[in-house]
Amino acid sequence: MSEVLVAFLTGLTTGGLSCLAVQGGLLASSLAQQIEQDVAMQPRPKGAPKIGLRSGLRPRPQIAGPILLFLGAKLVAYTLLGLLLGLLGSMITLTAPLRAALLILIGIFMVGNALRMFNIHPIFRYFSIAPPTFLRRYIRRTANREATWFSPLFLGALTVLIPCGVTQAMMAVAIGTGDALQGAAILFAFTLGASPVFFLVAYLTTQIGARLEAVFMRLVAAVVLILGLVSVDSGLALVGMPSASGMLRQSGSAGQVVDVPVTPQSGTLILNATNSGYSPTLLHAPAGEQLTLNVVTLDTYSCARAFVIPSLAVEQLLPSTGQVAIIIPAQEPGTVMRFTCSMGMYTGQIVFDL
Amino acid sequence: MKKTFRVLELHCPACVMRVESIEDELPGVTRVNASYQKQLMQVEFDEKRVTVEQIVLAAKQKGYQAIPL
Repeated sequence: MSEVLVAFLTGLTTGGLSCLAVQGGLLASSLAQQIEQDVAMQPRPKGAPKIGLRSGLRPRPQIAGPILLFLGAKLVAYTLLGLLLGLLGSMITLTAPLRAALLILIGIFMVGNALRMFNIHPIFRYFSIAPPTFLRRYIRRTANREATWFSPLFLGALTVLIPCGVTQAMMAVAIGTGDALQGAAILFAFTLGASPVFFLVAYLTTQIGARLEAVFMRLVAAVVLILGLVSVDSGLALVGMPSASGMLRQSGSAGQVVDVPVTPQSGTLILNATNSGYSPTLLHAPAGEQLTLNVVTLDTYSCARAFVIPSLAVEQLLPSTGQVAIIIPAQEPGTVMRFTCSMGMYTGQIVFDL
Repeated sequence: MKKTFRVLELHCPACVMRVESIEDELPGVTRVNASYQKQLMQVEFDEKRVTVEQIVLAAKQKGYQAIPL
């Protein structure tokens, strides 16, 4: 249940914008029919200003319904995907390097989309995902014959083919559950959580004035840019590379007691995995001898539970409350061993310099 | 006949779908392929039934300025 709540909150806070950046093209395509219809119904005198999606005089189309249909179809599609991923969870292992590659690729994609929204260079237009020509023609002709609800439903379901970075992380969690119903519940909660922001941003973009829209899109682009950089950073952390977030966290905790030397008698290091990350984030240990790293959890429900040491290929799902011992073989003096959560969000390191 | 137009203000895939709908609405036009990335529109049409000017006008009515290349 707690994982479902975390999924919902993740969707509510970061999922909406992140998904809109990747899936906005499909949403825009699904709204084309409605916009076309609304424009056709508006009488326009000869010589009147043109009506484009971003021109001065705007049709203010009735798009709330189509956006809701789009999101409804998306919710159903992702719930089914969660069901399948949970079912396949016992067979598929999404390794840390694979997750890292996905996070980095999605991050680059989001940064590209943000730069497209900033209109930095025409090359960034290639980051916009739209249906291929044959599908556009099929949608247009079917939508002409059928009611306008067809394309939002159809394209909303198609979003399942282009999950955003945060969704990918949630898909990994769904696989991790190894249970069809739990997997479905996680992706349902996440997609539901992401829907309000997705709806609001998409709706406001077409309802506010052109000048305000430009400001609004820049704001959205800035947030998407940050989310993209965080995704790349998390991917780097997941393969054991120094990450900006890890460095910031460590410099931020400089005033705290962070040096935890190994207990000489037991050869044991203690690391707490909490809801806000790992504590301490920097541990010192002796080189040249085997150690035991005890990772302790107490009512921990964040992704810190999915503990990864990339250099040792350790991937351990910790209990929400308990203790897990990980054997660390003898290391060369000066070795820096990084650890992270499975999403690359929380990081820390052990320095073998004692 | 096939003719390429530069289309200004193609901001997103929705704009692409809107200009492509000329294909369904203007008799004599057999195919329209627009590209958001290239800001271009390629139109296949029967020049006995429709003129370049009529295509430009159809795009204008949808809110886009099409310039024949």
